[in-house]
Amino acid sequence: MTEREIEITLNGRRRKFRAKPNELLINVLRDRFSLTGAKYGCGLGECGACTVLVEGKPVLSCLTLAVSMDGHDVRTIEGLGGEKLDPLQESFLEHGAVQCGFCTPGMIMTARSLLDGNPSPSEEEIREYLRGNLCRCTGYQGIIQAVKHCNEKK
Amino acid sequence: MSPVRYWAPKTKDEALSILKEEGPRARVVAGGTNVIPDLRAKKLTAQSLVDISGIDELRCIEKGEGSVQIGPLTTIADLLDSEIIKAEAGLLGQACRAFADPLVRHRATLGGNLANASPAADSAAPLLALGTDVLIESAPAGKRAVPLEEFFLGPNRTALGPDELITGIRVHSDAHLKKRFIKFGLRKAMAISLVSVAVALRMEADQVAGATVAFGAVAPTPIRAPWVEAYLTGKRISEESLAEAARIAEWEVSPISDIRATSEYRRHLSGVLLRRAIQSAVKEGS
Repeated sequence: MTEREIEITLNGRRRKFRAKPNELLINVLRDRFSLTGAKYGCGLGECGACTVLVEGKPVLSCLTLAVSMDGHDVRTIEGLGGEKLDPLQESFLEHGAVQCGFCTPGMIMTARSLLDGNPSPSEEEIREYLRGNLCRCTGYQGIIQAVKHCNEKK
Repeated sequence: MSPVRYWAPKTKDEALSILKEEGPRARVVAGGTNVIPDLRAKKLTAQSLVDISGIDELRCIEKGEGSVQIGPLTTIADLLDSEIIKAEAGLLGQACRAFADPLVRHRATLGGNLANASPAADSAAPLLALGTDVLIESAPAGKRAVPLEEFFLGPNRTALGPDELITGIRVHSDAHLKKRFIKFGLRKAMAISLVSVAVALRMEADQVAGATVAFGAVAPTPIRAPWVEAYLTGKRISEESLAEAARIAEWEVSPISDIRATSEYRRHLSGVLLRRAIQSAVKEGS
């Protein structure tokens, strides 16, 4: 199987890697770059735990071929804040929006994309936008509140 | 997953010449939201993947004379963001709001939803109801246009040849029609519909001057319902005409029983949803 050389912008830095045509983005992120924030949940696009941002839009990294990312900007939960946490991460802490934590990276990446386009979404808009991210602990109330109040303070 | 070779053409012509060479060995992939799970479940085998997601010329929405032409790589999220779709293909827009979830919508393409040919494809019923041509091209045979009714041949089977690519989807404008799409699933998010219905009505005063009706998930392919359409034409919308249209719909569909519902339930649901869709279209489906 022929490998291809792929160049992406990963969390703001140019990175190169070689990948086989059947390698998935999530495996490259986790195994080659040790970015284990994105989680492998269902592998079918049902749960959203593997969500990362591609060109700022939430994408399921378990259904995305790594080779198809050539030239694209990819952001994972690890690249969200800088020295400090992203305000959305702060808000998740503040509102107790994390239980077991498995869905949290995916939730935050999807919600980040929502807030980037719509800084003060209604509760209904939040629920609609997060409908593809499942929380097996069913801690949705805290998550919705964290997203809703993220841009309120200061 | 099986694929050995990977192609990432940047233009339509490049893609067509790859498909000509690779033929039946190749599988076209765009968003990958169907192809990748199918490859992994070994429901699909392909020696060669032709990834067309980088062909920018096939991702567009253009308003034509009484129609809208949509590039096959237009994502469901693109459709939801489009003012042209809102104004000229509102029925398709309604279906996009019921489509999977935002994560899938950012990758899933309209061309892929049609080429996958699920009987329950959310975009199929509205496109059937509005009247749609699938524009197809291959390097050896050039261009052809296939009416959507003739494009679907069975579950996951289409009129698309192994060297052919969907290059456009041309749908009639629904700006002047009353329309409603209803999808009935077992939950709100990420559901495969038990039944979906799309209704487009041309009203003259309170009388139906023209009707098109399409159903999803009640036959081996998404279908039009010509008997329902013929009945509705010339009728006023009343309790009696709604009840009769629902009765005809129950007779006209041919659903199967599966893990989601029985055939009897889907038949009943077809009538109920048709009635709701017509009522809602006439009331608020501008």
